[in-house]
Amino acid sequence: MIQIDGLSFRYPRGENDAISKLSLRVRPGSLFGLLGPNGSGKTTLISILTGLLPSPPGRVQIEGKPLPARRPEIQSCSALVPQDYAFYPRLSVAENLAFFAGALAIPAADTGVRMQEALSVSGLEPFHGARAERLSGGLKRRLNLAIGLLNRPRLLFLDEPTVGIDPQSRHFILETIRRINRRGATVVYTSHNMEEVESLCDEIGVLDNGRLLVQGTLEQLLGGSESKQLVVGLASPLTAEQSKALAARPGLEIAGSELCVPSCSAADFHRLMALLANHGIEPSRVKYGYGNLEQLFLHLTGHRLRD
Amino acid sequence: MRTLYSLVKKEWIMLLRDWHALLLLFVMPAVFILVMSLALQNSFASQQAVHIRYYLINEDPGPVSAALTQRLLAVPGFSALPAQAPVAALATRVRRDRAQFLVVIPRGFGQALLHVHPLPVRMLAGPGVEPAVYKLFEVALRNALGRIYAQRALARLRNLAPAPVSAAVPGFDFDAADKLLQAASLYQTHGRTEFPSSVQQNVPAWLVFAMFFIAIPLSTTWMQERQQGTYARLRSMGLSTRTLLLGKLLPYLGINLLQVILMLLVGLIVLPWLGGDRLTLGHSPPALAVMALTVSFASVTYALLVATLVSTGEQATIFTGVANLLMAALGGIMVPRFLMPPLMQALSAYSPMAWGLEGFLDVFLRHGGLRTVAPEALRLVAFGLACLALAGLRPGRREGKG
Repeated sequence: MIQIDGLSFRYPRGENDAISKLSLRVRPGSLFGLLGPNGSGKTTLISILTGLLPSPPGRVQIEGKPLPARRPEIQSCSALVPQDYAFYPRLSVAENLAFFAGALAIPAADTGVRMQEALSVSGLEPFHGARAERLSGGLKRRLNLAIGLLNRPRLLFLDEPTVGIDPQSRHFILETIRRINRRGATVVYTSHNMEEVESLCDEIGVLDNGRLLVQGTLEQLLGGSESKQLVVGLASPLTAEQSKALAARPGLEIAGSELCVPSCSAADFHRLMALLANHGIEPSRVKYGYGNLEQLFLHLTGHRLRD
Repeated sequence: MRTLYSLVKKEWIMLLRDWHALLLLFVMPAVFILVMSLALQNSFASQQAVHIRYYLINEDPGPVSAALTQRLLAVPGFSALPAQAPVAALATRVRRDRAQFLVVIPRGFGQALLHVHPLPVRMLAGPGVEPAVYKLFEVALRNALGRIYAQRALARLRNLAPAPVSAAVPGFDFDAADKLLQAASLYQTHGRTEFPSSVQQNVPAWLVFAMFFIAIPLSTTWMQERQQGTYARLRSMGLSTRTLLLGKLLPYLGINLLQVILMLLVGLIVLPWLGGDRLTLGHSPPALAVMALTVSFASVTYALLVATLVSTGEQATIFTGVANLLMAALGGIMVPRFLMPPLMQALSAYSPMAWGLEGFLDVFLRHGGLRTVAPEALRLVAFGLACLALAGLRPGRREGKG
């Protein structure tokens, strides 16, 4: 569905590449989670894929059609649901849908059917006459999504579509996204909520500093040897000599009465256990296994605060 | 076409639901036109024609005083009010500005006219009389007195001179001085002298002002679209920058034209009904249409440029408000250009509002046609094209943030 090969992009007067030699594949029909800290290049990448930012020729193909040469065709079969409430507060739900249907040049004869579909999928039928500005946060999110469904997109870009809403609305939106995906649409989903991405996406890519750090299914990412985590509880405080010995071991973090190795292979596990035994360090408990997506994310992108 | 229709319809619906914008675009200029036209009616009347109301009391029954009275009563623009009360009572009325002047010709004035110590005519001015009007009335009175004095002095000379000399002295026409000056106004057209009345000045002035004020709602909605992501969403749907610009340009052009119609109706119907003068529209509807369209084009494109230069709605409101007030002050909206000193008049040549106002005045006041308004219309179109070009260079700046 999406094929990117060695894409780089720099904003005018930008000092660094916002996207740097990025290569990525998104399978048709997948629900692809695009993760990355603030400023990592997610929105820039989506802007390129939706035609908002220019892309160099020969680097991006969507449904086999190259960007930017066939941008109009690509835009007609894709849709962007931005993070912001990208509609008109003074218009009603129905007026917003009618306006965007008109903007998409959907024939007048089809507009009613498309609007009804969008209202139905997003559960907004009871609110079709309500002014958008008077909707709750959850309903606004659903209207934002509904507008993105008007052109029956085969490729849907969702930029943090569940920010700032209650659990019920989040659940509804996530279920709606699953339904849309099951009907055959490819979904590219960005979020900072790792639990959401874990539960929703069948494939994930992590982006930072404009580079793709990893890509794969959740099992592939968490099942990789590097992502196994070791946590050792200490039965007694460390002596100065023991601390010195452990500090020399790379990748080991000492936090109070706990030792942690975020990425620990099986060989590393055995070596560390031997090290503890050699220095007379007695574990009170040992936990070794897969971490979750958030741990992987922090491991890959670091703990440094971003904008 | 369907896309453009949707964009235009959306703007109209949103504007109709924005009470602040409606007040700003339609109510504010109408109120300005009504208040300023009526409040400045007298000030502008002094530019157009003089209307001085005064009491004249002639206590002297002689022919000289009668001749002086006739002269004063014949001065155009001077209206003598019925003076059936004692001098003290009339003076009190003048003091209360019921009339501007009181003139008293004392008993024995005619007989003492050529004496070494003549009896002076007394002139009393009300406290509200402007210095220029005071001077005008005084000069008119001195002029009448001077002519009467000259006539009587010449008659005395004739009587004193020997018959041959007296017969040789020709008769003088003391009104000949009027023929020694040919005065004409710059506003003279078709053989008529026309200064702008308060209505003729204020209706087009505040109309142009209001037309440029669409920059506030237009730039604010444009800003909101950029900030809320609707601009990016529409671009991602394949709408070109040109379509989006046109989608803003067309509805606000329509709003501007609606402003023109409504404000002209205020000048044609509401102002006369409230006691003001009636607006005259000139003789060239095509020239009026050209001015309406070119002012609108300039104001809409200026608004688009503002919207692309600022970052927030607040910035748009403040920038547009200040810039519009400056353009209005320079452009003769608040103070007519003909009242400005030369330097300010030269500066006003750089205000688009001045071009718009002068164009409308050409049509309304000077009965100009398409050729007359062409220079102003071309300036406005050039200004609009420059704004459009600059706006097109940077229509949106927020597609990427992460």
